[in-house]
Amino acid sequence: MLTLLAKLFKALNSESSPGQIALAFSLAVIIGLTPFTSLHNILVLLLAFIIRVNLSAFFLGVAVFSGIGYLIDPLSASLGETILNNASLYDSWTQLYQNDFWRMMAFNNTLVMGGFTLALIAFIPVFIVSRMLIVMYRDKLLAWVNKLKIVQALKAGKFYNIYQSLAN
Amino acid sequence: MKQWIRWSGLAGFMAVFGLIVAFFMLAAGPLIKSSIEYFGSELAGAKVSLEEVNLQFSPFGIEMQQLQVADAEQPMENLLQFDTAVAELELAPLLLGKSIVRELSVDNLQFNTPRTESGALEKVVEEEPEQEKTETAAEEPSLAQLPSVDDILARESLITEQAGREAQQAFAERKQQIEQAAAAVPDADALARYQRELKALTSGDIKSLDDFNQRKKKFEQLKKQFTQDKKAVAAAKQAIAEARTDLSDKLSALKAAPGQDLASIQDKYQLNASGATNVTALLFGDEAGQWAEKTLYWYEKIKPYLASDESDGNESEAEESQPQRGSGRFIHFPSDDPWPEFLIRKAHLSAPMLGGQMLIEATDITHQQAVLGRPTLVVVQGNALTDIQDLTLEATLDHRQAPGKDSVTLDMKDWNLKGVNLGVAGAEIESALVQVQGLALVSGDQLQAKADAQLGQTQFAGSGKTQFAKEMLRALASIDRFDINAGAKGDITSPEVTFGSDLDRKLNKAFKQRLKQKQGELEDKLQARLDDKMQSYLGDYADDLKALNQLDGSLDEKTQQLTDMAEKQLDDYQAQQKAKADKELKKKEKELENKLNDKLKSFF
Repeated sequence: MLTLLAKLFKALNSESSPGQIALAFSLAVIIGLTPFTSLHNILVLLLAFIIRVNLSAFFLGVAVFSGIGYLIDPLSASLGETILNNASLYDSWTQLYQNDFWRMMAFNNTLVMGGFTLALIAFIPVFIVSRMLIVMYRDKLLAWVNKLKIVQALKAGKFYNIYQSLAN
Repeated sequence: MKQWIRWSGLAGFMAVFGLIVAFFMLAAGPLIKSSIEYFGSELAGAKVSLEEVNLQFSPFGIEMQQLQVADAEQPMENLLQFDTAVAELELAPLLLGKSIVRELSVDNLQFNTPRTESGALEKVVEEEPEQEKTETAAEEPSLAQLPSVDDILARESLITEQAGREAQQAFAERKQQIEQAAAAVPDADALARYQRELKALTSGDIKSLDDFNQRKKKFEQLKKQFTQDKKAVAAAKQAIAEARTDLSDKLSALKAAPGQDLASIQDKYQLNASGATNVTALLFGDEAGQWAEKTLYWYEKIKPYLASDESDGNESEAEESQPQRGSGRFIHFPSDDPWPEFLIRKAHLSAPMLGGQMLIEATDITHQQAVLGRPTLVVVQGNALTDIQDLTLEATLDHRQAPGKDSVTLDMKDWNLKGVNLGVAGAEIESALVQVQGLALVSGDQLQAKADAQLGQTQFAGSGKTQFAKEMLRALASIDRFDINAGAKGDITSPEVTFGSDLDRKLNKAFKQRLKQKQGELEDKLQARLDDKMQSYLGDYADDLKALNQLDGSLDEKTQQLTDMAEKQLDDYQAQQKAKADKELKKKEKELENKLNDKLKSFF
């Protein structure tokens, strides 16, 4: 975990594009808020590997959003239940249900549907907000953070050693 | 664009994915094997073992070798075993964790095969079922034997005994009542004393008015005593009359009781010609019972997995109110190809049985019929069976809606039945050609079943040495065909089973002649024993009843005596008083006349 955090800081402090880090968080939202073993997550994982997003940020995001996903699990399932039982969408779902691909995607699972819907809603806001925060961090906080006594202390510890080994 | 694509990432992803797939392929076989053994043992309550499980890729599926399921009740036997089973799995549902078997083939399925080592699980076996088994076993032999006269008399609650006891009790009560009443009746001495007192009162002249008054007072007292005595006599007579009626009724009932007992015993023990229905149950009850027990055993095992209709609804409701964390629930939509959690679309099983092969074809085996929308169908057909020309069994297990409705039809043609022990008097069906048609319906827990069997070309044999066995065999020898109807109704765990047969009528006819003598002897013996019992009660009281009649007669005499005494003596006394009065009057008239004559003479 420390390594993962160190990698994240390295990415934040490096020349990596803020968009790459922000996209990694956005993709992590999808895996985090839906059941991990769902098939669509393999596609998200594939995307994360192929698109040049920051993998450290992605895996850290998956860990964080999975925790959030577990906490809001009942809300997600309830939302999925509402969507799947919506009378106006019944024909659409029935049509999708005839196709093996969609059934493999488990769209008719309440948690998959609810979690995926929440993830889609959160995808763009997470991208925008995290990108803004990264830019702000690099512009205003990076120099200030480095001057903090606590950071100086940390630099003398194990975490900084890992960070340094990765940076070099 | 190049800046956004990471081709090395694709290679990494493929590598990771490849490793996962490789691990799955290597570990799947052993994992499936241990899962089947673990969960199978939990389910069967005995050891379940598999020799090997292999993963196949074309078509995708698994192959299982040498499965053995031990019998929990008989650990040295296998409940079932098979050599090979191949299950073709559908990959797409499997990725969702749904086991859908496109086709399942099981070869050499065998039941009740011996084991080389015990299949019991290491846990304490409850002793209660064994006790029940012992009790059942203890009851069975009594069915196989007809009881003796002593057994019958000892076992039966006899009307003769009861009537005897009632007569005995009634006599004791009545005797006490009569003795109490008789104690108030004057005896011979008292009557003689009355005579003497009356004579003293009525003889001799009344000397004065006081004397008259005293006599009159004593006479009135006697008269009062007579009245009381007459009442006592009347009460005693009444008691005797009631006792006589009551005891006569009781004794009549006692005399009739042996006949009633005999009729009841005849009816119950089927010794007369009308009772062969019980013989049918004796002949085929055990055989049918064993088959029914086996069928119910398997049905009870399977039912919980079919009866998901009731539990499914409940589960869905529960899931709706409290969705499972991390998994959610699947909502199913109409489809030609629904995916339940578990489904075997087609199963072919072959089982060596009855000298040939039983071919079992089953479709749509699932515990979620409501999701699938179709019932489970099972067709069992006999192939090249040694003793059965044609055997077809069709079962429909429909649990789409609660309560589940299951139906089974059976059609058996030309079943060459041999050496079936009838369980009575050593008789057996040596050979018969049997046709069987059966239908069973189960709705919820209620069973309704009927089966008809026609037995033709019947040949009976027997090795019984007793007279009854010989008679039975002779009776059976004259029967060459008969029908049996069996029915079961009620709760599936304890249905009410009935047997009917025209064997009853035919055996009746044959038995009527053959059993007549034997039955007569037995009935005579029973009659004699019952008469003895009746006499033991009746003998003592017949004399006492006669004595009652005599006592009644003597009371009549006493009543008459008392009446005569009172009326006769009273008449004499009045006449005496009148005569005395007349005499006194005449005397006074004479004195007046004389005085008048004397006075007239002095004037002249």
